[in-house]
Amino acid sequence: MAATDPPIDALGALMRAAQRGDAAAYTELLKSITPRIRRVVLRERAFAGLAEVDDLVQDVLLSVHTARATYDAERPFEPWVLAIVRNRLADGARRYARTAAREVNWDHEDDVTFGAAETNEETAEIGDARALRAAVRALPDGQREAIELLKLEELSLKDASAVSGTSVGALKVATHRALRALRRTLATKR
Amino acid sequence: MMSTDRLIEQLAANLEPVEPLRAPGRRAAAFMLGATLYVALLTLAIARPGATSRGVDPAVLVPQLVALVASLLAVRAAFASVVPGHDRSALIWAAIGVVAWVGALAVSAFGSDASAEHEAVLGARHELWCVALILAGGAPLVVALAAMLRHGAPLRPITTATLGAVAIGSLANVAACFWTPHADRISAFFWHGGAIVALVLVCAAGAPFVLSWRAARRRAAGLARTSNGAV
Repeated sequence: MAATDPPIDALGALMRAAQRGDAAAYTELLKSITPRIRRVVLRERAFAGLAEVDDLVQDVLLSVHTARATYDAERPFEPWVLAIVRNRLADGARRYARTAAREVNWDHEDDVTFGAAETNEETAEIGDARALRAAVRALPDGQREAIELLKLEELSLKDASAVSGTSVGALKVATHRALRALRRTLATKR
Repeated sequence: MMSTDRLIEQLAANLEPVEPLRAPGRRAAAFMLGATLYVALLTLAIARPGATSRGVDPAVLVPQLVALVASLLAVRAAFASVVPGHDRSALIWAAIGVVAWVGALAVSAFGSDASAEHEAVLGARHELWCVALILAGGAPLVVALAAMLRHGAPLRPITTATLGAVAIGSLANVAACFWTPHADRISAFFWHGGAIVALVLVCAAGAPFVLSWRAARRRAAGLARTSNGAV
């Protein structure tokens, strides 16, 4: 444990407060445990890339959030969170092994071309970025959040649902409506 | 990909108060109370004449009492297995309970003169009803236990489901042993044992779908949505 980390019992107290709905305590807790989780992930996955480490850390944080009701204030906090970290790392390793068994690496992307000229262009026309940003800002809260989570931050539906506290179905509907509204808005500006 | 800081902000912004889960022992006791009552009512409802007199036979009674203890220990271990960081002593006690229960059943089936007049194992037709009773009678308990276990963290779904299925199988087996007189204990041992093994296999196979992080996150998001009043 680094010298700047808060003591373990303090983390247990923060989790108890979080269970009561204290968002500030929860933020402090998650920010305190994130470096520890990252250290464990880096130790266990020494060869993982930065994006994979971030993925695993975020997966652990989502699992901590999901399982927060299972924390017992009578028990120490560290074994509780470490059990979740170990479990998610093991699941991540299994997932990686399954994916690696199915995938074939292809290092010759430049050799692949398509018949239509526009499909071979490296960049696509993105239109007026400023107008798009303004149109996104003008969306209703629920639709804007759905677009930000799913399209800008590229979260999966599952993760976006956990983060926003909205059902997958509602997110899909909000995204559909948001895209329709954006299309309408941008079309009128052309 | 979302940044970790942004994720933390989002999780905190959508934080809802949660009721901490009670200790595994207390949850197990609550489940066993309801399950034992259910099994007792089920047995009384379908009992055939002469079945109740079997209760005084120690060769029948002792394994059933051990079964209740084994069931309690197994269900406690199942509840402990969905609590991160919980010690593994519950698992060891459950294993001891199951070994004692199977041992008591084996002694009852193969000990003394119980095997003197046994029929061919595959010829015991009324045992098919016992199999149906264990599987169909145990199904509502499986659903109830799964609903309770889903409140925990799905750390080892197959272990959790196996423990739960053993607990329910041993309870349902009590009803299967009492509802009608069994002339042949060896047949009963194999038929009932086979039904319990089938129950365990089905539950273990379905566990990764029912007790998964994906299902837990969906459930947590649903609860948050309900408390927010959003659709």
